[in-house]
Amino acid sequence: MGKVIKYEKDNIDTDVIIPGQYLKLHDYDEIAKHAMEGIDPDFHSKVQKGDFLVAGRNFGCGSSREHAPIALSQCGIKGVIAVSFARIFYRNAVDGGFLLPIEVDEETYKKIGNGDQIEVDIGTNQIKNVTKNQTYAMKPFSEIVAKIISAGGLFKYKPD
Amino acid sequence: MAKTLFEKIWDSHKVDEIEGRTLIYIDRHMVHEVTSPQAFDGLRINKRKVRRPDLTFATMDHNVPTTNRSLPIVDQISATQIKTLEKNCQEFGIPLFGLDSPYQGIVHVIGPELGITLPGTTIVCGDSHTSTHGAFGAFALGIGTSDVEHVLATQCLVLDKPKTFEIRVDGKRKNSHAVTAKDIILSIIKKIGTAGGNGTVLEYRGQAISDLSMDERMTICNMSIEGGARAGLVAPDQTTFDYLRGRKYTPKNYDDLIESWKNTLKTDDNAKFDKSFIIDASQIAPQVSWGTNPAMTADVTESVPEPAEYARGDSSQETAAKNALAYMDLKPGTPLTDIQIDRVFIGSCTNARLQDLIEAASIVKGRKVSPKVKAMVVPGSQQVKMEAEKMDLDKIFKEANFEWRESGCSMCLGMNPDILSRGERCASTSNRNFEGRQGAGGRTHLVSPIMAAAAAITGHFVDVREWV
Repeated sequence: MGKVIKYEKDNIDTDVIIPGQYLKLHDYDEIAKHAMEGIDPDFHSKVQKGDFLVAGRNFGCGSSREHAPIALSQCGIKGVIAVSFARIFYRNAVDGGFLLPIEVDEETYKKIGNGDQIEVDIGTNQIKNVTKNQTYAMKPFSEIVAKIISAGGLFKYKPD
Repeated sequence: MAKTLFEKIWDSHKVDEIEGRTLIYIDRHMVHEVTSPQAFDGLRINKRKVRRPDLTFATMDHNVPTTNRSLPIVDQISATQIKTLEKNCQEFGIPLFGLDSPYQGIVHVIGPELGITLPGTTIVCGDSHTSTHGAFGAFALGIGTSDVEHVLATQCLVLDKPKTFEIRVDGKRKNSHAVTAKDIILSIIKKIGTAGGNGTVLEYRGQAISDLSMDERMTICNMSIEGGARAGLVAPDQTTFDYLRGRKYTPKNYDDLIESWKNTLKTDDNAKFDKSFIIDASQIAPQVSWGTNPAMTADVTESVPEPAEYARGDSSQETAAKNALAYMDLKPGTPLTDIQIDRVFIGSCTNARLQDLIEAASIVKGRKVSPKVKAMVVPGSQQVKMEAEKMDLDKIFKEANFEWRESGCSMCLGMNPDILSRGERCASTSNRNFEGRQGAGGRTHLVSPIMAAAAAITGHFVDVREWV
C-alpha cells in the first residue's frame, strides 16, 4: 500500500521532474533530492517508499534523461499513475526497472485523490483505493512490458 | 507491398523478432557527457566491451562552458562529468571530439556536418533531439541511459514498431526570408499538440519541405519530439546529397551510394500512412510561444489568448493555460508585440547552424541591441563558429553588443552557467519553453533566429516580415 501524491497537471515535463542543472550529478541519492523541484521543492521529503505519483496526460514529455524516472524511483516512488505517458519516459521507466508507468482513464485519474492510500495489483490490473473503498481498472501492460517489469528491467530480462 | 520511407529503413535494419518486438541494428551511436556515464559504469561492472567503437562518436556539449576555453572549468561537478567522458572514450576506444577539438559542438550539429549522419541509416543518442538527424532520411531517435548501455554493448536496440504519421506542408511560404523553418514546425506542433505524434514517426513532405535547405530541415526534424514523436524524417534528395559531399566521414563510394539512395529512400506512391496532417505553408506567419509548452504558440500578429478560448472546452487545457500565463506573467489580450524581453539566446541544436546565424546577422547588421537587453549568440559547433567568423558574422554581432560565445548547448537547458535569473524573460531560438528549463523561474519564448534578433534590437517582439 502506498500514498498518492497528486498533481492535477498535464504535460509534466522532464525539466520539472529533474531540472537540467542536476543532470551533472552522478549519485542517484543526490539526484533524488531534486525530484519534482520544478513544481514542488518539498516533494522529496513528502515521499515514503512505495508511494505513487498521480498526474494527467503526457507525463514525462521532453528530454530522454533517464534521471527523470531515477529521481522519482530513488525518492521511493513505486509507480506513476497517469492518463498517458510520453514514450521515452515510459520506456526508460520500464527498461531501467525504475518504476511502474500505469495508464488509467480520465475518470479514474479524477477519482484518485491526493493523500489516498492505494494498492496496485499488476497481476489483475486493478488499483484498489483503500481510503475511498473503490477499485479501478488500469490499462494492462503489453505482454513484453509485463515480462520486462517482472524481470526487473531490460538487462535482467531473458527472452523465453 | 508499397511502403513508406520509414518502413523501408525499419525493414532493412531488422535483426530479429523477439516476442513481438523487433531487434533493430544501429548504424551510428552519438554519445555525450550527460547521459553516458552510468552506461559506461554498467559495461565495466558486467565486463562488457563497446561492440562497435568505430560506429560510436562522442562529444561534450551539454554542460561545457561557452566562455574562454583556455581557462579551467570553474564548476567542479561539470569538470568531473567532462573528464569522465574523456576517460570512458579512451578506455573503450571511442573517437571523441573534445573541448580542444575543432569538431566539438552540439552532438546534433556535428553529426551532420561531419558526414556521420547518412541517409537510410539508424541513429541513436542519449538525447531526445536526436530526431534532428532525420532531416537526412535517417531513422534517428533519442534513448535513455539503459538503452545507451544496450547499444554500446550490442549495437542493437529492441523496439516496438512505431506507426507512421505524414506531415504534409503544401504550397510555398509567402515570405521565405521572414517565415522560417522554425515557424513551420511551431505551427505544426501548435495544431497536433505536444502528444499528437506519440508512438509515431513523422515524415515531413510537400512542396514547402522540398524547398528547405538542410539546415532548415534539421530545425523541423529537431522539434519532432516536441510534438511527441521520437523521430521525424525527410526523404533525401539532391539538397541532401549536395550537403553531405566532401565531409570528414562521407563514405568514399559516395556517388554509388547516391544512386542506390535515389532508388530506394522514398515513400512509394501508393504507400499508406497511419495518420496524416496537412498544413498550407502560405498561411504560416512568424511564431512566438506564449506558454510553457511548445504547442502554446501563436502568430506574432496575435495576442496572448484567453485560457478558455485557447482550451476550446477542454478543462484541463484551460487550467494548463491559466497556470502557464501565471508562470509567464502574461495577461490575456496583450499583443505579443507588446511583450518586453530581458534576454536573447540565439543557439541550440534547433537553431545554431550557419544559416541561422547568417539570417540573424542580416537583421542585426548596422543596428544595436536595445540597452535593456542582454543578448548572446552560441554557435552550434566549432565548425559553425569558424565558418561564421570567416564571413565576419562575429563582428556584426559584437558590434551590435551581442556576446559571441564558444559552442555548446548553453542556455537551451541551463546546465552550464548560461542561465536566466528568476523572472527574466528570454526570446530564445531553442526548442523547449518548459518551466525552469533555462533556469529556475526563467521565462522562455520560442522564436526563430531572425525573430530573436529583431527582438534583441527593439526590446520586444516584432513582426519581422516588416523588416525583410
